[in-house]
Amino acid sequence: MTTAKNQTVARAPAAPATRSALASALLNRRLWLGVLGWTLALVIFFPIFWMIVTGFKTEAEAIADPSLIFSPTLENYAEVQSRAGYAKFALNSVVVAFGSTLLALLIAIPAAYSMAFLPTKRTKGTLLWMLSTKMLPPVGVLVPIYLLFRDTGLLDTRTGLVIVYTLMNLPIVVWMLYTFFKDMPKDILEAGRMDGAGTLQEVIYLLLPLTLPGIASTGLLAVILSWNEAFWSLNLTSSQAAPLTAYIASFSSPEGLFWAKLSAASTMAIAPILIFGWLTQKQMVRGLTFGAVK
Amino acid sequence: MSTPATESASRVGARATKAGYRGTKVRRQRVRAAWMFLIPMLITLALVAGWPLARTFYFSFTDASLSDTAGAAWIGIENYLVFDDGNWYGILTDPVWWQSVWNTLFFSVVSVSLEVVFGIIVALLLNAEFKGRMLVRAAVLIPWAIPTIVSAKMWAWMLNDQFGIINHLLMALGLIDSPLAWTADASLSMWAVIMVDVWKTIPFVALLVLAALQMLPKDCYEAAEVDGIHPVKVFFRVTLPLITPALLVAVIFRLLDALRVFDVIYVLTSNSTNTMTMSIYARQQLVEFQDVGYGSAASTLLFLIIALVTILYLYLGRRQLGVDE
Repeated sequence: MTTAKNQTVARAPAAPATRSALASALLNRRLWLGVLGWTLALVIFFPIFWMIVTGFKTEAEAIADPSLIFSPTLENYAEVQSRAGYAKFALNSVVVAFGSTLLALLIAIPAAYSMAFLPTKRTKGTLLWMLSTKMLPPVGVLVPIYLLFRDTGLLDTRTGLVIVYTLMNLPIVVWMLYTFFKDMPKDILEAGRMDGAGTLQEVIYLLLPLTLPGIASTGLLAVILSWNEAFWSLNLTSSQAAPLTAYIASFSSPEGLFWAKLSAASTMAIAPILIFGWLTQKQMVRGLTFGAVK
Repeated sequence: MSTPATESASRVGARATKAGYRGTKVRRQRVRAAWMFLIPMLITLALVAGWPLARTFYFSFTDASLSDTAGAAWIGIENYLVFDDGNWYGILTDPVWWQSVWNTLFFSVVSVSLEVVFGIIVALLLNAEFKGRMLVRAAVLIPWAIPTIVSAKMWAWMLNDQFGIINHLLMALGLIDSPLAWTADASLSMWAVIMVDVWKTIPFVALLVLAALQMLPKDCYEAAEVDGIHPVKVFFRVTLPLITPALLVAVIFRLLDALRVFDVIYVLTSNSTNTMTMSIYARQQLVEFQDVGYGSAASTLLFLIIALVTILYLYLGRRQLGVDE
């Protein structure tokens, strides 16, 4: 540190750069970084942009030479609904995503509470084991779960998907809640305990209101993960309970041309996430990085 | 009796008994409550992870089919390897299986490496200050948040051999003479799949790296700047070692995801053997060929490979992963 300082002092008078030259160099650098950053964002965003644009073209325009000049039409959106019953799949997605999230939170809150506030020697191990189940290849448990669902009549039902998604998201939900609960000052809970609050009251009146933002962002992540899930929805549902991912994966049209309609359907499938995500950007960043970015 | 030492000792003793009393009854009550709270989660996880896995393991030693699992007969390791009539049979002799093992490893190593390189670049850019940085950050985040099925379909459209915009652009730029069949060509389809996966996953790696970058001490950089050290050298000598723990976390998450990759490939190239991964292979056996015994053997091998990679990785990087915080 001292040598660095000495060098600055020694070098400062010799440096040819005046204050204004230095400032303009800095400005220049910022400009270039800005250009780079924006180019990057455009390149990354382009595929989504192109899909949205295609959704507003007619099928004939979609397969013509790529162009941004066309008269936008909503016919694809209308047709996706009238021919394929888009709303039914969308409803399935909504019910399954929110249902499984609520159920996962209900199971995970007590578990995370106990891990964060009453840690034992095995807490760390339990947490790691729990996260490791997330690494299971789903295909490894596909048949047993399929058979169980077949025998209990859960195949192709929303209840079945809710159960699978709850189980799928549980480790990550517990983990996230655990990191939020651990950040909470313990004194508040202890004060509550002094005032004679039981464990249940402590959780309902103190913990939950105070960590609501954390619980909300965990819930948001669980909703998005369920909304995006494909493996189970493809293998456990067919016509009745299929959510949007299964619908889009099997999207085709008897007339052959379907790119514009597919784009319209896809745009609708990601619209809720884009809007939802835009409004809750900060929580989403934290959720998507499993709590690493605060 | 009234010396200060004994007085304080008796006071301590009184406090200890009081604390001990609280400790035994209330504490025990709380520990019991803790277990009560944990049990629902532990049971559900054991049910979802343990029991089906054990069943898959068992099925892999039987001749079960999807329509008849109850009447499955124990056939030992015949699904894996069997010598019959002068020939070896079983999954371990199936060239398609080995092809899918190779595909999975190739896909995982290449895509995760690319994701780490691009993720670092994007993170460095997002860490710099420029106008509209938050907006750019939001735009970069999007690919990770939308369903893989949708992004794969979207890319299938862009990579379409006849109408896709990628072929149009490349031809307009004069880089290619005739349209390429990105998802059908044996030599291109793996790279197409990798490209889509990299596009989708850059945000995840970038965000983890960004988080690490934002926690770096600023004075190192000021000192380096004052000493006039080239930024590239600063990156390799200062930044990279400091963000290595975050990178290791990102790599393990991504690697485990990549090893069981399913949906990107399923949508883009379906069951083509050029890009078939272990998950696709196992699912095809289980669902399409309804051969539960054989498919379970594939699933079991996939599980063992993933477990092996995880253990190896944790063993090699255990100090840097900071599991003990």
